[in-house]
Amino acid sequence: MSDHTTDRPEDNLPGTDPTAQDPADPDFLRVSDLHAGYGQARVLQGLDFSVARGEVCAVLGPNGAGKTTTLRALCGMVRGRGSVTLDGTQLLGRSPEQAARLGVAHVPEGRGTFSDLTVEENLRVGAHLRTGVLRRGRSERAAVAADLERVYGHFPRLRQRARQTAGSLSGGEQQMLAIGRALMLRPALLLLDEPSLGLAPLVTRELFEIVRAVNEEERTTVVVVEQNAQLALDIAHRAHVLEAGRLVLSGPAAQIREDGQVAEVYLGVSVRSRKAG
Amino acid sequence: MSTITGILRADGARAGRTRAALIALAATVAVVGAPFYFAPFQVFQLTMVLVYAVALAGLNLLVGHGGQISLGHGAFFAAGAYTAAVMLDRFDTGHLATLPVAAAGCFLLGLGFGVPALRLRGLYLALVTLSFAVFLPLLLKRLEPWTGGSMGLTVDKPQPPAWSGLAEDQWLYFLVLAVTAFALLVARNLLRSRVGRALLAVRDHESAAEVMGVRLSLHKTLAFAWSGMFAGVAGCLYTWVIGFVSPDSFSFVLSITLLAGLVVGGLASLYGPLLGAAFVMYVPNVAQDLSEAAPGVVFGLLIIAVMYVAPAGLAGLAGRIGSAAARRLPRTRTPDGTHTARPTPSGTSATSADPTPPEAEVQAQAEPVGAPPRTEEE
Repeated sequence: MSDHTTDRPEDNLPGTDPTAQDPADPDFLRVSDLHAGYGQARVLQGLDFSVARGEVCAVLGPNGAGKTTTLRALCGMVRGRGSVTLDGTQLLGRSPEQAARLGVAHVPEGRGTFSDLTVEENLRVGAHLRTGVLRRGRSERAAVAADLERVYGHFPRLRQRARQTAGSLSGGEQQMLAIGRALMLRPALLLLDEPSLGLAPLVTRELFEIVRAVNEEERTTVVVVEQNAQLALDIAHRAHVLEAGRLVLSGPAAQIREDGQVAEVYLGVSVRSRKAG
Repeated sequence: MSTITGILRADGARAGRTRAALIALAATVAVVGAPFYFAPFQVFQLTMVLVYAVALAGLNLLVGHGGQISLGHGAFFAAGAYTAAVMLDRFDTGHLATLPVAAAGCFLLGLGFGVPALRLRGLYLALVTLSFAVFLPLLLKRLEPWTGGSMGLTVDKPQPPAWSGLAEDQWLYFLVLAVTAFALLVARNLLRSRVGRALLAVRDHESAAEVMGVRLSLHKTLAFAWSGMFAGVAGCLYTWVIGFVSPDSFSFVLSITLLAGLVVGGLASLYGPLLGAAFVMYVPNVAQDLSEAAPGVVFGLLIIAVMYVAPAGLAGLAGRIGSAAARRLPRTRTPDGTHTARPTPSGTSATSADPTPPEAEVQAQAEPVGAPPRTEEE
């Protein structure tokens, strides 16, 4: 009754082996001609972009531009046409569970924490794939314990709340838990959908700083979808601006930030340089 | 009484543990002593409560923790009961041999049941499972060479060994008690395992569980299988205790009664199945006493009354009373003169410098409504 493949996910995860770090791998995630939608509604109309290994990539755009749909297509929650490869492996046509096995960790919009489980149990669900029936070994248990420590290191507040149910956490803590849970997967690619949704500005800033730290310390590749363009641009290396299911602007984050006027037109929000903000 | 309160006030953490130990001791004495105190018919009723508790624990896994609905658990119960009866009647196996066969058979049946659960949810799933419950008694009538048709099967009850010196009803009680205790322990550990976490995760947020790599189809089907297994074990025990099965004993009303019992007892609660089983066993008798003409009406009204007073079931009510009592007790000062702080719902006490007290307080507090107690074990 085991529900996992025989190979250990971390063995075939692209990007988790530090020796394989290739800074010059600009097509670690390669999205080409991606179409996706819901039933009759076509949302994405042919996206093309790449994310380099270890990079933070921001996907920006107004409501309904297709940002969330892009992430959902990457993790298998909606079906897409075209091609999405992660380190050469095709992601399209896989279920979310299979995508998770390939190292794609999705933090859904609205967090999706399991409110009746404790914080620690939530995190252990994140390690679900690594604790199968055939992997009850001491080394696996130790690895999961080490990962719990790692996540608690990033989010000290979660350690304080370890025995509380997730439903009793504040919004910011729940978002931290959702990200921490995704990190338990030891992801090669971390997908963050609107982490700032419904959070106070100060909490949001703290959260983004943690995401930056995770990216810098663990070299996790991150794709973050955000309404708050300025915050996202602060931690991103590159950014893509979506409108009506197409890319209208791509480039290094700094350049997009400087190019405030263009962004303003497309984003409908004011993007100022950090000095001005 | 004064000594008990004295002990309770002795020391925050130790008092909690002492109290728990006292309650456990009292419960053990009551449970073991009951068959020697009560009349045989009352012992039989208690035994049936234990039988239903196993079935409700199984249903609880599916409905309470899995968030799926089944109006067909009477079918598993019947399948387990008939498995035992046919084995005893046709093959003359010992009673103990029927238990693993009924369990395994109903586990497999549950896997089959689980398939519609992958496509259907809510009321649609309820309808399909109800059809199983309606269909199985008819099938049992048709399979006359095996099942004895409408006449049913009469089988021997397990006989007490001479050395025990127990009467038949007492022996049955202890036999069922052992199986029930084991089954409830398995159910509890299952919920704290990886499978249990996955089950709760799927119920709480299906898509979030899926993106964490939880295979929905497997865990939904497994929920049915585990749940069916427990109901099958309960059915097997039923055959042992009653010594007679017939299709009419397992009409679809049984399925509905089981679901009602679970909801009244308390969904997703550890003690809910026990309380619900007692409700299923005793309340129809009470209803009969109150109204010869329409006991069903009284039964229905009592369900409404319970749900009105205790929306989270009897277990939720017990938890509420418990925490009201706990709120009084910790107000007493601990020996070092400090007030024992209790965690607020937002858990602000967890930020206190000393990391140990919250643990102890949580223990001293009553169980949170609808949540099993947490432990660190895997």
